[in-house]
Amino acid sequence: MARIELDRLHKTYGPVIAVKDLSIAIEDGEFVVFVGPSGCGKTTTLRMIAGFEDPTSGEIRIGGQIVNDLEPRDRGLGMVFQSHALFPHKTVAQNIEFGLRMKRVPAAERARRVGEVAAMVRIAHLLDKMPAQCSGGESQRVALARTLVTNPSTFLLDEPLSSLDAKLRRELRAECDRLHEELKRTFIFVTHDQEEAMTLADRIAVMRAGEIEQVGSPMEIYSNPVSYFVADFFGSPSMNLIAGALVHEDGGPRFRSAGLSVRLPDIYTTLRPGPVTLGIRPEHVGVRPGVGGDVELPVRLIEPLGKDTLLYFNDGTDRALVAVSEGLALAGLKSGERVALTFAPNRIFLFGPDGKRIRL
Amino acid sequence: MTKSRRGLVTTIFRYVVLTLWAVVAFFPIYWIIATSFKIDTQWFAWPPVYFPDPPTLANYLNVWLGAEQYAQTQYAISSQKPLISLMNSAIIATTSTFLAVTFGSVIAYGVSRYRILSDVRMFQLLMLRMIPPIVVVAPLSLYYSALGLLDSMLGLILIYFLTTLPYAVWMTKSFIDEVPREVEQAAEILGASRWRTVFEIVLPLIRSGLVATFLFILILTWSEYLLALIITKTQVTTLPVELSKYQGSTEGRVYGRQAALAVGITIPLMIVGLVIRKHLARGFSFGMVRR
Amino acid sequence: MTTAAVPSAEAHAPRTSTRESSRRRAMQRFRWSILGPLIALIAVVLLPVLFLQLYFSLHQWTVYLGTWWDAEWVGLDLFKDVLTDPRFGWAVVRSLIFATGSTLGCFLIGFALAYLMYKPFRGQALYYIIFILPMLTVPVVVAYTGEMLLYQSGPINDLITRLSGVEFKPQWLTNPNIALATVMLLEIWNWTPFSFIIMLAGLAAIPKEPIEAAQILGASKWRIFWEVQLPLLRPVIFLALVLRFLEAMAEFPKTWALFQGGPGTATETLPVYIFLTTWQYFEISKGAAMSYLVMMLMIVIVLTAIALLRREKRTLDAMYAQRQTET
Repeated sequence: MARIELDRLHKTYGPVIAVKDLSIAIEDGEFVVFVGPSGCGKTTTLRMIAGFEDPTSGEIRIGGQIVNDLEPRDRGLGMVFQSHALFPHKTVAQNIEFGLRMKRVPAAERARRVGEVAAMVRIAHLLDKMPAQCSGGESQRVALARTLVTNPSTFLLDEPLSSLDAKLRRELRAECDRLHEELKRTFIFVTHDQEEAMTLADRIAVMRAGEIEQVGSPMEIYSNPVSYFVADFFGSPSMNLIAGALVHEDGGPRFRSAGLSVRLPDIYTTLRPGPVTLGIRPEHVGVRPGVGGDVELPVRLIEPLGKDTLLYFNDGTDRALVAVSEGLALAGLKSGERVALTFAPNRIFLFGPDGKRIRL
Repeated sequence: MTKSRRGLVTTIFRYVVLTLWAVVAFFPIYWIIATSFKIDTQWFAWPPVYFPDPPTLANYLNVWLGAEQYAQTQYAISSQKPLISLMNSAIIATTSTFLAVTFGSVIAYGVSRYRILSDVRMFQLLMLRMIPPIVVVAPLSLYYSALGLLDSMLGLILIYFLTTLPYAVWMTKSFIDEVPREVEQAAEILGASRWRTVFEIVLPLIRSGLVATFLFILILTWSEYLLALIITKTQVTTLPVELSKYQGSTEGRVYGRQAALAVGITIPLMIVGLVIRKHLARGFSFGMVRR
Repeated sequence: MTTAAVPSAEAHAPRTSTRESSRRRAMQRFRWSILGPLIALIAVVLLPVLFLQLYFSLHQWTVYLGTWWDAEWVGLDLFKDVLTDPRFGWAVVRSLIFATGSTLGCFLIGFALAYLMYKPFRGQALYYIIFILPMLTVPVVVAYTGEMLLYQSGPINDLITRLSGVEFKPQWLTNPNIALATVMLLEIWNWTPFSFIIMLAGLAAIPKEPIEAAQILGASKWRIFWEVQLPLLRPVIFLALVLRFLEAMAEFPKTWALFQGGPGTATETLPVYIFLTTWQYFEISKGAAMSYLVMMLMIVIVLTAIALLRREKRTLDAMYAQRQTET
């Protein structure tokens, strides 16, 4: 069993706390993505799992066994680095077979497995080339092959797609997905790109300032964020987050901000008035020409994207209120036209001044 | 002034200045090469002879091969056997350089990856070299004579090794720094031991750097004068000392032969220097230049 | 995850993994097996030498006295002798003039050349090769070449006379007023490539973007030089000046081979004077005392140099700080 447990992992560099009391259990065969902004501790965590950093305190267990004292090569892990880290002076084939040589696998067997793995990631035609002759995408595939061939129980990937351009990134993302399907091994993936996290992960661990803010499936993270930070991080275009206050008027809860006033669902009646932030995703803001709805606003900017149309509204804050409308139906709107906006009631989030989601 | 007009003036200015200095830089080198081919009547001729006509190999034959018959005038050099000096220089220089680079690179690896020497110590190491040799040469020679190392190749090799070690550490460290840690870590997680990582991954990657360091230090040990002068007596001589002996001899100014000797000393060095010219900057920068 | 109060220190008592201790042991092994012997070697060579130096500077000894230990104690007399010796004072002055002058010369010319050359142009490679040649000559060779060239009826005087039309026949080698300048010129010729190479590397390493930004913002070439390039070049400039100065203070081959300190004492720099005292006048003790004083002087200069260079390196590291990859 390759179940990985991180138990109160803590890492300090002098006065700086890089990872704070982090605990999580990763099941065998899961694709877990650690995601968060730069400096949140995700790479440090990964490197502690690999063994390149020692935790200041806390335990790392693989398959129930504490591995804190084991060298990286004895932990049975495979790792793909952000910079692919191929050996520049060896051929692609020599790079791939390196791990097998360390395990003293005989030459014939090595050649066979190298061939197998090269076919799996489709680089068989590059085997005799030098890394310098490979493109960015090819190099990263070679890096994948190099770890694949050693058959580790778990794959660690440290922002492997960050140095690639958008198109290659999508290609290799699909590759990682496919490999995970085929091999059914545990994948621990670190990235700062929320899209990668959403598409690849079985479970996402959202990190901020050394701690895990939320763990859950992509669905959960997206539709049930526990905090302002998580809500803001995921989704493209980002969730609309409007600062304002909860008041009671006309017998019911209401959200008031500098630019708008919206009636809230009745469940919020029991809430005491106070400052809150309203969150609603652009795709949950309904737009209709004319009047009515929760609020009427003039549209400021229209961006027809083809599949969708983005509409920007001034809600009195620095950030524009964004609505997404399917198709190009509303592409003909003129700037300044007043339209009716409806906020889907069960998609409204309220966040308290501490950043946490207000749940009832 | 238009861009193109100003560009033209700048370009002309640049070429003029650079060519001027190029002439200044090259003329002495030309002169000594030319003089080495002059017959003795042209050595001090006035007006000076700028191009040896007729050119002659007599100086080379006399100096390097001890061919007495080519001593054309009463200016006969008591044969000091430059070829032996050449061999001595070669052995001493290559051995001490080899030692310096070997030990230097091992220490450099430790400094680069494990910080076995702090920043301060690294600079102190460098400054060790900057103490003028003159202040320690006297007691050194007495100490050596007590140890029996005076006038021996071993003695000179030892002191050259120790004085060039700082350079070796600094230069190889800058090369090792450039090998990305991730490449070493990739090898580590694939099962390689530390020694294997160093020998199979790190060292091959800095091969050209090691060669450059070797040649750079070779230049230093080959041309060193003071220590060689004091430590060698009769058994051992190095080329730079040999050359100065020509000056001190009572035969006066034998320019042509001195030139022939000088050319023989200098040309190998120039070739080496030109071979590694791309690495010279690295050797001199000591971390003050961002790569 | 609830954010509790600041966790107490005991909750995070760092545990030293056996891996860390085995790594430390391996480092210790390395220290002892390689670094240790080398340090020991340096100590075995250097310490006795320094001790002998000190001993001789406190005891009067000449070669005729027999063994070293027969020398009689004179305390600080020798040091007093040296410090009150006007010839020593002059030697110090000459060394300083020599070092400062040749360092500045090397630097200014080297910098100028580097500035003209750091952008690619036709023939650049050839110029580079020619420019580094002077440094690849052996200093003794430079001395003798200099002699051949600067002979009063020699090519240099001849060329300048012909080119300028004015009779130009200074006695480079025999006029005591000019002799020091002659050596300085040789030194500058010999070592300008050093400054040139590192200034060139420094200039080439400056990122293009700030310069281009300044250009678009309307800065003149002069302004860009003063406000963008020069500050970024500070560490390299320091290096070029400091290293060259230290080496120039210690210069021996050219001065000795060409002049032996003469004519008279015109080129008697510190290294030359020490050499004369020890090996020609055989005043070994006085030479030892002198060496000790010079060594003290140089150590002070060197320590200042270390402090300066370290500070420059720190600013350099800060300016070009790599993005922390520890995320």
